[in-house]
Amino acid sequence: MTPRSLQLASTEPLEQSAPGAGAGAPARASDELAPLRLCALSKRWRKDLPLVLDELELTLEPGTVTWVGGRNGVGKTTMLRVAAGLIEPDSGRAEVWGVAPGENRVRYQRLVSFLPAGDRGLYARLTVRRQLEFWARIAMVPRERFGETVQHAIDTFDMGELAERRVDRMSMGQRQRLRIAMTFLPSPEVVLLDEPLTSLDEEGSALIQAAIAEVLERDGAVLWCSPSGEHLDMSFDAHWMLEQGRLVAA
Amino acid sequence: MSDTLTAGRAFVAVLRRDLTIYLSYRTRLVSQVLTSAFSLTLFYYVSRLVHINGLSPRAYFGFVVVGISLIGVLYSSFSIPELVRQELLVGTFDRLLLSPFGAIRSVIAMSLFPMMFSFVLATLTLGLGCVVFGLHLHWSTVPLAIPVMLLVLMSFLPFGILFAALTVVVKQGSVGTSWVVALLSIVGGLYFPVSLLPGWVQTTSRLQPFTAATDLLRHLLVNTSIGESPQTSLLKLVGFAIVLLPGSILVLSRAIRFGQRRGTIIEY
Repeated sequence: MTPRSLQLASTEPLEQSAPGAGAGAPARASDELAPLRLCALSKRWRKDLPLVLDELELTLEPGTVTWVGGRNGVGKTTMLRVAAGLIEPDSGRAEVWGVAPGENRVRYQRLVSFLPAGDRGLYARLTVRRQLEFWARIAMVPRERFGETVQHAIDTFDMGELAERRVDRMSMGQRQRLRIAMTFLPSPEVVLLDEPLTSLDEEGSALIQAAIAEVLERDGAVLWCSPSGEHLDMSFDAHWMLEQGRLVAA
Repeated sequence: MSDTLTAGRAFVAVLRRDLTIYLSYRTRLVSQVLTSAFSLTLFYYVSRLVHINGLSPRAYFGFVVVGISLIGVLYSSFSIPELVRQELLVGTFDRLLLSPFGAIRSVIAMSLFPMMFSFVLATLTLGLGCVVFGLHLHWSTVPLAIPVMLLVLMSFLPFGILFAALTVVVKQGSVGTSWVVALLSIVGGLYFPVSLLPGWVQTTSRLQPFTAATDLLRHLLVNTSIGESPQTSLLKLVGFAIVLLPGSILVLSRAIRFGQRRGTIIEY
């Protein structure tokens, strides 16, 4: 069953403003499907440290972009990592269209894509095209869509001139563009972005907006995390701040 | 079926990635071939001094050349933890873990290039031994060495995967690998016959696949007589592969899960 058909199968109308039950909104019934639901997520790094996520709730509606901000170290990246399936919460559940990573890892990873903050995650001695081809294979893009998918990523992020250039010979902004292209490459339903504008110029920012628009067109959803202020030219459907492990209206 | 094929292509993609990166360092191949050539030269002259257990200098040279070739194969399987460490350092391990292909299959795929390359290098070493130093191969059984070598790779692979699991947990690539390789090269009879070792060491040397591998390959390549029948050595290698491979994959899976639960999977 595709995510879209799952969505159509849901008889309940989707709430317009379901994001942070942590901010007081009621939790949604578990049989309602959404591109991404974080249900009562809690995470503590060590027993002697406070909870970094404290029964956090967030639901992304289809076709929406949600921004979550907060000061450095407040737990935005932890929330994204849990949502991506990279780390497990102490309690609670992350699900993409009703699928949790522990239930069907491969399905989950086909649906969700994560851009970590920073400049890591690239093979320095591979060219842009080789890098994208590699990630398309690892993302298990079907053979019949393989070439088209790689070329689409190159075109969408305007990397035609860079395609044969090795990553270690590229600028930071160009590398960030490639990292973002890799994130959007497998046409995910849910995109998790951690400080995506790092090192990007205006042109790069515009390209990422175009890529986000494609996700929204297929009723996917985007969760964008960054400290306040760096995203002023972006438009979001919901704004939240992460404070003391919970989301509050921004 | 379609998913299996797509996964197969992902395995090939990892192999191709590693080959591309390897070839991007232009002097690497030359340097590795030269290292083999220097080892061969060294042992060619050392072999002239050797008269043990009825081994002539020429027979000892054949004996040690197979050992040198196999140590490369052993090193290749023990390079997997270091490769995992590199992936952790550059942040690509996260991406592999979060891909539909997944971390387990990626780690296994990472072993393909070093193992295949070690096979090629072992062949080159034997070739150099023949052409330059007059090594006499037992040509009638040499073709049998190819499937046996593949089996040897399968029986060594679990050790690499186990150490990769350790790397995922402790974040250090070379913890224990160098001394394990050194120990195996001694008890496995790399440079000298196991029969020269104390009795109890000889017994323990039969508890790992390296001894069976060296015995069998020496028998097939240079017709060295072995203590046990070739069939027994073959069965041992099959047994090690069948028992250890699934076990090591399970351990790696647990190590990754442990890292995800504790949150340490993101550390490097």
